[in-house]
Amino acid sequence: MNIVVFTKRVAAAQEEELKIVRDGEDLDISKLPFKVNDWDNYAVEEAVKTVEKFGGQVTAISLGDKESDEVLRRSIAMGAKEGLLIRKDDPIFDPAVRANVAFNFIKKHNIVFDAIFTGVQAEDDQFGVFGGYLAALLKIPFASMVIGIDEWKTDHVVVKRELEGGMSERVRIGIPCVLSIQTGINEPRYVSIMGIRKASQVERKVFDGSEYMENIRSSIELLRWSYPPKKEGAKLLSADIDSACRELLEILKEKGVYQ
Amino acid sequence: MSYGLIVADVRKGTFDERNLDLIGFCNILEVDAYILLPKGDYDVDLSYFKRVIRLNMEEADFLNPLNIGAIVEKTIEKFGRPSIIIFSSSSSGMEMASYLAGYFNVPIITDINGLSKEEKVFFKSCYSEKVYAHLRLKNEGFSVLTIRSGSFKQHANKKCEVTETEEMDPPTLSEKRSFLGYVEEEKQEIDITKANFLISIGRGVGKKEEIAGYEELATLLKATLSASRPVIDKQWLPKERQVGTSGKTVKPKVYLAMGISGAFQHIAGMKDSECIIAVNKDPEAPIFQYAHYGIIGDMHKVRDKLKELLKGL
Ligand SMILES: Cc1cc2nc3c(=O)[nH]c(=O)nc-3n(C[C@H](O)[C@H](O)[C@H](O)COP(=O)(O)OP(=O)(O)OC[C@H]3O[C@@H](n4cnc5c(N)ncnc54)[C@H](O)[C@@H]3O)c2cc1C
Ligand SMILES: Nc1ncnc2c1ncn2[C@@H]1O[C@H](COP(=O)(O)O)[C@@H](O)[C@H]1O
Repeated sequence: MNIVVFTKRVAAAQEEELKIVRDGEDLDISKLPFKVNDWDNYAVEEAVKTVEKFGGQVTAISLGDKESDEVLRRSIAMGAKEGLLIRKDDPIFDPAVRANVAFNFIKKHNIVFDAIFTGVQAEDDQFGVFGGYLAALLKIPFASMVIGIDEWKTDHVVVKRELEGGMSERVRIGIPCVLSIQTGINEPRYVSIMGIRKASQVERKVFDGSEYMENIRSSIELLRWSYPPKKEGAKLLSADIDSACRELLEILKEKGVYQ
Repeated sequence: MSYGLIVADVRKGTFDERNLDLIGFCNILEVDAYILLPKGDYDVDLSYFKRVIRLNMEEADFLNPLNIGAIVEKTIEKFGRPSIIIFSSSSSGMEMASYLAGYFNVPIITDINGLSKEEKVFFKSCYSEKVYAHLRLKNEGFSVLTIRSGSFKQHANKKCEVTETEEMDPPTLSEKRSFLGYVEEEKQEIDITKANFLISIGRGVGKKEEIAGYEELATLLKATLSASRPVIDKQWLPKERQVGTSGKTVKPKVYLAMGISGAFQHIAGMKDSECIIAVNKDPEAPIFQYAHYGIIGDMHKVRDKLKELLKGL
């Protein structure tokens, strides 16, 4: 079972201030913490778990600047055999372009696989497109929102896909295929600093991204960034926690949920 | 005139309300709305559409992303090229849209939640709702779009005088993917949709060991504990307590959200609560836009102070 996993290094803005600069033209992400995309962490774990069970190897691929090596080292520490960096210093926003680059890369290097895993979405751009787009370019089957793999056979897998409202469905899909992995499918293993240091000794191959860009053009123009329109917003309680909590209890009484 | 091709959002024989957003979107852009529907007895007002294309195929085959490319090809052969092909940002909508865009190698923009008609610009949120990207398409042919539910439904207000209905036989179905069945839901111990006071905790809770303190707080306040997805993914609380698009939709009298940022998939599951109170250490957390009351601060400190006050009463 050879599994290729795509993993992306992203800026995490959930707990940080995200500044729009240059009149809306740019985002200042320089002060944000960078990390592996949450969804990809689950995808790498699922790939490693699968080869531990059925044999084969995991290859992690990232498309990004040289710092993206970090997520490859991390994948290797988790159990991937190889890490490949398609190096492109300016980020590519358009998911169709990224999928085309990945497609050209896979074709040019004749990369063989039984399955490609991606995350459902990247935390930064939140497109949720890359996996499905790549599958279609490769003309192989695809399933997204995978929250369970029930069966691996030589010619097919049976997966559980998450739908809305707690519902899910089971589908059978031929191999080779692309699966986009949803969070919660497993419990990603802990990666220690020691583990990453050890993984650094495994060579990561670097490829020049511009070699896979021929005849690919983005048809999406990113005009500017804005903050979401402000609604009325919350009435803020006191800054002092003690008073804020007393006010909170008053609100609960007023709403009749607590006496 | 060119048209917008809507791929219906259907499931288990129902026509989802999310389709209204797709209709509203076409209306704003002033393109004729065509819709692709599988066979079945869907409760749908067909007069929204200029043309209804009924496919002679089962719902499960219709929802299979491997079939959609050939269906669209056939549609184009018959009715010409649409300017946009639109899906809702549901599980299957997203799956089909990305595959279809790759099939034709055309541009795709997902999760559109606003637009500026004059400039032909679409908005989509990035970085967990912290910013919007303004995007314009500059290709010649058609593009694939997915629409965030709730964004445009108020514009689904135009009826067509004449609706053409056509039947179409499906192309050869793909054998590389097949639907095996729905998964039975597990038996539930509690039903958070029935609670009138929910305390909901998010990733901000930090560690599993902290959960017990929130359970205690919930007991003291006679509230029910629920959570956002990351807490459930880590199995710190059972799945039945998840609020959001892939969990439960709740409408309690009071929803106290602690350490939850306010991602759309979460908001969609709790925005209709009567009173929303958010506790978050980040003053810019999007959840404060939906909350009625807010405390900017550490959730654990708020928890401990509340417990202290309650025990002292
Ligand atoms: C297809 C799909 C379906 C999904 N379905 C759901 C769903 O049903 N439900 C759901 O919830 N999500 C769902 N998600 C995930 C969703 O996109 C978000 O990732 C998730 O809601 C984030 O959860 P969170 O707010 O708890 O975590 P984060 O976004 O990480 O936010 C944590 C918040 O806690 C705050 N914080 C941290 N520490 C503290 C502290 N000590 N005190 C106070 N505040 C603190 C931070 O400032 C931050 O705002 C889905 C995603 C996809 C792609
Ligand atoms: N630059 C990239 N490098 C590696 N993987 C990527 C990259 N962009 C997207 N992916 C993969 O595609 C998934 C979905 O990304 P997106 O379509 O951008 O939301 C991610 O979870 C990754 O697995």
